[in-house]
Amino acid sequence: MFCIVAFIVLSILGIFSASNRELARESLDCVLRRVTLRPCNTGFDEKMKAKILGVVITRSEGAAIFLNRNFELLSWTFFVLLLASSIWTIRGVVLFYTTGSCNGANSSAFCVFDPSGSNNEVSTSSSQVCSMPVPAKFLTARLKNIDLDLFPTLKNGSSQKIVMIACYHCEYSRKAYPMIRDLVKQFKVDLAFLHYPVKESTDYFSRVSYCVNKLEPDKFWTFNDQMFSGDAMELDDPAYLNGLLTSVGLDAGQVNACVADPQTETVVKEQMQEIVKTGFFGTPTVFIQNQVLVGPKPYRVYAIALEGLLYWLK
Amino acid sequence: MDIRKIRQDFPILQEGGGKKPVVYLDTACQSLRPRSVVEAVSQYYLQETACAGRSMHRLAAEVSRSVDQSRAALAKFFNAAKKEEIIFTRNTTEGINLVANSLGLKAGDVVLISDKEHNSNLIPWQIQAKKQGVVVKIIPSRPDNTFDLAAYETLLGPSVRLVSLGYTSNLDGVSIPASEIIKKAHQNGSLVLLDAAQTAPHRSINVKALDVDFLALSGHKMLGPSGMGLLYGKYALLERLDPFLVGGETVASSTYTTCEFLPPPEKFEAGLQDYAGIAGLGAAVKYLQGIGFDAIQKQETLLNECITNEIKDIPGLRLIGPADPKLRGGIVSFYIENIDSHRIALMLDQMAGVMVRSGQHCVHSWFESHQIRGAVRASLYFYNTLEEAELLIGSLKKIRKVLG
Repeated sequence: MFCIVAFIVLSILGIFSASNRELARESLDCVLRRVTLRPCNTGFDEKMKAKILGVVITRSEGAAIFLNRNFELLSWTFFVLLLASSIWTIRGVVLFYTTGSCNGANSSAFCVFDPSGSNNEVSTSSSQVCSMPVPAKFLTARLKNIDLDLFPTLKNGSSQKIVMIACYHCEYSRKAYPMIRDLVKQFKVDLAFLHYPVKESTDYFSRVSYCVNKLEPDKFWTFNDQMFSGDAMELDDPAYLNGLLTSVGLDAGQVNACVADPQTETVVKEQMQEIVKTGFFGTPTVFIQNQVLVGPKPYRVYAIALEGLLYWLK
Repeated sequence: MDIRKIRQDFPILQEGGGKKPVVYLDTACQSLRPRSVVEAVSQYYLQETACAGRSMHRLAAEVSRSVDQSRAALAKFFNAAKKEEIIFTRNTTEGINLVANSLGLKAGDVVLISDKEHNSNLIPWQIQAKKQGVVVKIIPSRPDNTFDLAAYETLLGPSVRLVSLGYTSNLDGVSIPASEIIKKAHQNGSLVLLDAAQTAPHRSINVKALDVDFLALSGHKMLGPSGMGLLYGKYALLERLDPFLVGGETVASSTYTTCEFLPPPEKFEAGLQDYAGIAGLGAAVKYLQGIGFDAIQKQETLLNECITNEIKDIPGLRLIGPADPKLRGGIVSFYIENIDSHRIALMLDQMAGVMVRSGQHCVHSWFESHQIRGAVRASLYFYNTLEEAELLIGSLKKIRKVLG
């Protein structure tokens, strides 16, 4: 069993050292013998055992005695550990590819492929702090009993619908939004947009969003795309916002009048309550099929959630 | 003998530079080389690169003179009657093969060898047995591995053409009573070839006093360069021997169908010779003369006694050869029951930088007949110290304790 462990370890070390490469070759010979049920008579395991004992004995005779007596057992232990860690590693790679995190969807535990955790960063609904890890209890967000008709929906005649909760000022929403739009464009699915002001002190932008969709639903997605492009800080400038509304063919005055209308406040409050009912934690939160994706994931993660692993063939 | 000073002549033994110190106890395989030998070799390549005896230019003359001087120095070193009795070879093995193939052995001729010969002095005779019908007879050793003169005399019959023996065994360091063996062989009308690979580095050899007919040895065990050895032969015998390897440098002239061989030693030295090696071997014997064999033997005996006394009581350890270290020269061979010899050797290197030989030491026949898987061999030389011997002893005791 030792030669199998040695082969894997030495193969890796062999990338950097010629002497280890030679040992890796020897261990491979030994492995091939073992897997074909022949005795490993290359002397490799004996040689390595002697070398290891030679090092250990200079530090602790007791440890060397223990190692000598339990060498086979320790070899098996290391083999099992190696096997387990290999499986764990492969699992991590697969999970990272499919969910954007080595530890499974929306897990903010350390992932070597995403050490900064950027795939799971959100602007939270409970405070103004960004980049907080997503607590597991918030991952239960569901769309059950949510009235999506209250929100702007891009209809492509598809049976599939993506629901995105986002905030115009949230940098993570701004990162995810273009990918969701590309996804919708590529796979011709429906998209419901739920604005939730996690980074804003009022529901002003939710009212703007509602009013644009109410007044000119055909121009809503052009408006929305503009809101997510450019510098988020500029949105706070009324002149900039009015200019943006005008640039997409909207009557800024009419929109502002709608925003100030008390009836709008009532509807927007109703919208907020619906969004809160999803149990979402922060923005962006994207619902695709039965999956909840929190934070700005790579494009492939959204695509896999929508179309499966072979999305790129479609 | 100032060992500290001597060790400075061997660059590999110098400590420092972050390197683990080398405790070299494998001289029986090949010795370390002093700086003077390396310089003699490099001098040829850097300053005297030419062919001896062929070209007429100045460099060639210098090489010819250097080869001649080395041959004369070696003849003097072994007290040969004349320098032409020294034939340069690659090693002991080639020297023995030369005799085996040139002596003109016929079917029924008997060659006597001992039961613990190095493969170099076994396989050539096995081939002669197969090709020529030569009969190879084995002289059994005494139980303590010393030479059994009585058994030898019993086998020394009229058909014995040659007695070919290792002068000093690479297995256990035991030397044979060469003078007596040669005397009895000559009385029987037999020739004697001695494999002196393990003798020449450690004790003075006087071929004239021994009256030995042939003597083969290697340079690499006696401070000389690798791939350099020599065969001594009595001149009258060499004249009668057919050449083994033939070609360039072995003939005075040739036609398309005939050739006229040069006298010894040239007729045995075919092709371009290892001039650098010859110069290096000359430097090696000069260095050995400077040390002196009395001092060498004294140091080897001191170390062997120290090691033997300390390890002989290690549980399960069996010494190969006689118990008295004085009979084993610079060699301590042993095995520990149920512990692989290679494992011991690897651990010694890993834990203390002690380099020893493990396995069957090219004496497979002896190990097979004694049903011993292998042994560890520590071979000592004048450059080894008591501290190194103690390191070996301490490490061995630890290994025994750990491996149970």
